[in-house]
Amino acid sequence: MDLLRRDNEKGFSWKGFFLQWEWMLILIFLLVTAINSYLSPYYLNYDNLRDATMTFLDKAFIVLPMVLIIILADIDISVASTVALSAVVMADLYAMGVPMEVAILICLAVGALCGFINGWLIVRFKELSAVIVTLATMIIYRGIAYMMLEDQAVGQFPEWFKFLGWGYVFGIPFILIAFVVCAIAFALLLHKTTFGRRIYAIGNNPTASRFSGVQVDRIKIIVFTLAGLMAAVTALFLTSRMGSTRPNVATGYELDVIAMVVLGGISTAGGKGRMIGAVIAVFLIGYLRYGLGLINIPAQALLIIIGLLLIGAVMVPKLKIRGSGWRKAKPADAPVKRAL
Amino acid sequence: MTQKDRNSSTWSAKIARFREAGLLGFILVLSVIVQFRNPSFLTIENISDMVTNTAILSILAVGMMLVIVTRGIDLSIGATLALSGMIAAQTVVANPELHPVLAILLGTCIGLICGMVLGWLVARFGILPIIASLGMMNVFRGLTFMVSDGKWVSAHQMPASFKAIATSSLLGINTLIMIAIIIYVVSYYFINHTRTGRQIYAVGSNPDSAQISGINNGRILWLVYSIMGGLSGLSGVLWVSKFASAQGDTAMGYELSVIAACVLGGVSIAGGSGKISGVILGSILLGILNNALPLINVSPFWQMGIQGGIILIAVLINAVVKRGVDRNHLMRRNV
Amino acid sequence: MSEYVLELRGITKTFPGVRALDHVHFQLKKGQIHALMGENGAGKSTFIKIITGVHRPDEGEIYFQGERVDINHPKDAQQLGIAAIYQHVTCFPDLSVTENIFMGHEKIDKGTKRLLWKQMHQEAQVLLTELGADFDPKTQMGALSVAQQQIVEIAKALSTNAKIIIMDEPTAALTKRESEELYRITEQLRDRGVSVIFISHRFEDMYRLASQVTVFRDSRYIGSWAINEISQEDLIVAMVGREITQLFPKKAAQIGEEVLRVDGLGRTGYFKNVSFTLHRGEILGLTGLVGAGRSEVCQAIFGLDALDAGKVFLKGKEIHIDNPLQAMELGIGYLPEDRQKQGLVLPWSISSNITLPAIGKYAKKGWLSRHKEDEAAKTLAQKLQVKARSIYDPVSSLSGGNQQKVVFAKLLTAQLDVIILDEPTKGVDVGAKSAIYEIISDLASQGYGILLVSSEMPEVIGMSDRIVVMREGRVTAVLDREEATQEAILEASMVSISPRNREQIAEARMI
Repeated sequence: MDLLRRDNEKGFSWKGFFLQWEWMLILIFLLVTAINSYLSPYYLNYDNLRDATMTFLDKAFIVLPMVLIIILADIDISVASTVALSAVVMADLYAMGVPMEVAILICLAVGALCGFINGWLIVRFKELSAVIVTLATMIIYRGIAYMMLEDQAVGQFPEWFKFLGWGYVFGIPFILIAFVVCAIAFALLLHKTTFGRRIYAIGNNPTASRFSGVQVDRIKIIVFTLAGLMAAVTALFLTSRMGSTRPNVATGYELDVIAMVVLGGISTAGGKGRMIGAVIAVFLIGYLRYGLGLINIPAQALLIIIGLLLIGAVMVPKLKIRGSGWRKAKPADAPVKRAL
Repeated sequence: MTQKDRNSSTWSAKIARFREAGLLGFILVLSVIVQFRNPSFLTIENISDMVTNTAILSILAVGMMLVIVTRGIDLSIGATLALSGMIAAQTVVANPELHPVLAILLGTCIGLICGMVLGWLVARFGILPIIASLGMMNVFRGLTFMVSDGKWVSAHQMPASFKAIATSSLLGINTLIMIAIIIYVVSYYFINHTRTGRQIYAVGSNPDSAQISGINNGRILWLVYSIMGGLSGLSGVLWVSKFASAQGDTAMGYELSVIAACVLGGVSIAGGSGKISGVILGSILLGILNNALPLINVSPFWQMGIQGGIILIAVLINAVVKRGVDRNHLMRRNV
Repeated sequence: MSEYVLELRGITKTFPGVRALDHVHFQLKKGQIHALMGENGAGKSTFIKIITGVHRPDEGEIYFQGERVDINHPKDAQQLGIAAIYQHVTCFPDLSVTENIFMGHEKIDKGTKRLLWKQMHQEAQVLLTELGADFDPKTQMGALSVAQQQIVEIAKALSTNAKIIIMDEPTAALTKRESEELYRITEQLRDRGVSVIFISHRFEDMYRLASQVTVFRDSRYIGSWAINEISQEDLIVAMVGREITQLFPKKAAQIGEEVLRVDGLGRTGYFKNVSFTLHRGEILGLTGLVGAGRSEVCQAIFGLDALDAGKVFLKGKEIHIDNPLQAMELGIGYLPEDRQKQGLVLPWSISSNITLPAIGKYAKKGWLSRHKEDEAAKTLAQKLQVKARSIYDPVSSLSGGNQQKVVFAKLLTAQLDVIILDEPTKGVDVGAKSAIYEIISDLASQGYGILLVSSEMPEVIGMSDRIVVMREGRVTAVLDREEATQEAILEASMVSISPRNREQIAEARMI
């Protein structure tokens, strides 16, 4: 008996390979591109595409840790508020005369602290779900931002700070390079390290993971802290692009981010999904928005489309492929597992 | 077991027993303090303003309680409220002769439909309520903007009969408050004295057992989200009538206040428990806070942070109290 | 009218990929206690779900009192008078006892559809009194003990005027005394003319109660016998399909120096003043009734729960363990009781499961190395003779016994001195049991100190060098192999509490 034998009975099937969610995403992506470029001659213009990419990539930094959080079967809806708080703290400090470099570091620290508090509350009070904890901190973080700045906007950052959001390296937007680097780092972390393996273990079966010596609490805190840190990174890019900041920046980002993650094939039940899917989904939604903007679809309709996309994305896996047709999953057979 | 052991229940177990009395006491103390700081707090106008505000909040909180009891959450109610308020307002502007009751019915129906769609997504497809309601929040909000085309419906456009919904009175009581009271009574009867009402608690308490007991879990989930939607629709009309304006961003983020009222009122986020009386008290406490903070010169920009802090502290206290009760059960064991 | 109150013919039920029932038959007489036996996975649970209308059969017929019926929904079963009491009590902890009893068949006013609370409370009180329970029907269900909850379940069955009551492993979570109470109630039901289908893994339950036994094996019907017609040996053969020769392959092991000593361990509400020592090569049995606090002691030693009192010494040195990782690094391993929930990541491959506890060891500075990992997993899987086609198969595809071997393999990835086994053969079929005993024996002879937690008396007596008996959170006896008889263990695990005390406890629980 060769226990190391891969499952050869089914063999490699092209059908199985292409039925992977990521390929579906790429297909949709191509479809969106085709339709968009058909509808608007300006769509496939390099400058336009580049500018669009620079516009939508700021929130993409949060998508990366959100993938980890959703694989853990948790959720964090406070990320947008963390963006606002860390941006406001940075701007406020700078306005008070703190050097920009220090303000940036503090901005990152504030973001990480916000994430750490989320993680700490979630592991310390296990009877509370991540939904309710981050719902509360979502209000608190933004509330603190309002306390600090009230309804003012703060801007006038040094010229070099603009580079983050507007700069190019060898003709490639800096923000894109930064995102790609971060995405690769997160993908490696998730798929190639013991840390990532443990995240999947917790998402699949938290009890068995704990019994197997996985430091569940520590990993959760680290992941939530990472989410806070990346929210602060988003705050940097966003502030750089806007040139100023207000307490109500990044409103609704949590929805976009969660929509991208879920669309990327990461199951909200935890334990399943890959980083690459979410990254494709970032570009898919980004270009969809850009394309719709070009053909003058109002922003409100975009709101609806994103909402529907989110729901569509979580609904699709619930419809199972059976034979040739799509069969609806019977809720009666499915185990009833619903905690928020 | 000695006599001493039996009496030494943990302090938190005692709190659990007297939660509502404690909440009431807190409300009274708070009122007295605020009254000392600003005597205009307990004036007739201010109280009536506060109570009518609280009426809308508590109507929504009753619906939200049912949702939370089934272990769900609904973040779309602010958007549902705005959408139905907007459509109702536009309808009465177009048809000034329309009877206000019909306007209320129209708004309620629109809310009901929104809730039914959300309930269908949650019950039929098993989508996590947080995700489904977050998505629908966007959809409903987007629809509101599209319906209104970005414009407001302002006070002078609305017929007087419509605005009178919030100011008139029924049997000597303000209509808003009357409607809220009717809703409390009906809901109380519904959840305590009807089969379906108890089934809501059963599903929240243990979904698997509920299924085995022959309860149609999907139907119950669908029902609570529909009720929530209907109440949001109703609140939408009341809101627009009270504030005499309908905007695209009406009640944005209001769902958070509603959830806060529920957790303050002791509704367990883990599902299965929650009382109407608690939710009403929670709403009143929140209503007083919202009203009193400006009166004692707290900047309006602090309100959000304070509200978030209250939610967090309330859920943490709930959790700690629950732990104490459990520990109390353990201490009673004769080991 | 037919002789049988319930008869099932040729029932077949297929789930995607699994044939759960294959043309099974069943006949139940009025006023009969009928035991249904079979290994785990033999199809008993699915069968019960067919009778209670949770699942619908693909093929076959159901006759109720001689008439052909279709049971498509739990409500249909309820109307026919079929009620089930499930393995794990399926109650609503947030609701009152009365509501739990009447859930699904509440008393309502015909005109207004209003719930008649007063009547329900009264009726619940009557039912509870009949069953000898002394708690108030308005009590919240969550505040009751498991045994009390089970009585509520029975009251629920009675309140539906059930003619057939199905009990699915009702004694699994009960103490001996509580089981006796359940037997008494069950007999009382039988004398009233209620038919009972009784599912249990304990032979003693069956011999004590049943008059007829039906056996399923591998989703098929094997046979049905009057209880006095069939010996225990034949019954085992019917269940397993082969004869078990030697069940307890206990090897004489070299007992070495002390490796683990615990002194005065305590945790509020669970156990108090627990002390024992464990030596190299020794199998120390830890037994007692379910709920005596055995698992809790082990989990506290392993760092899953915090200790309130006491000291733990490993190889003579005092240690403090805060989490399982620390315990494993120090050399203590724990095999959990519930392998599906606590032991395995079911959708994962055998390989990934085996390496999970020591994933850091098979990695280079945190970077995974598939090769190293698979080699290690393969070696361990072979060592423990896991029967699988490949180590890349998901563990969910394995049988219970093989899954348990994977959990054993997980333990062996770490450098251990002490292995704690919590009910290692629970829910494992009889054939795989002896393979597991073999493994335990081997481990002991390799010099591990083994703490074997078990409720099965023959297992503890057959495998252990010494036996620690616990009762209600305290150690009541430490017995040598020679003095360890069933009687001695039983006496130590259930010396009766004076009636006055018992009253006080019941009173305290009621609140």
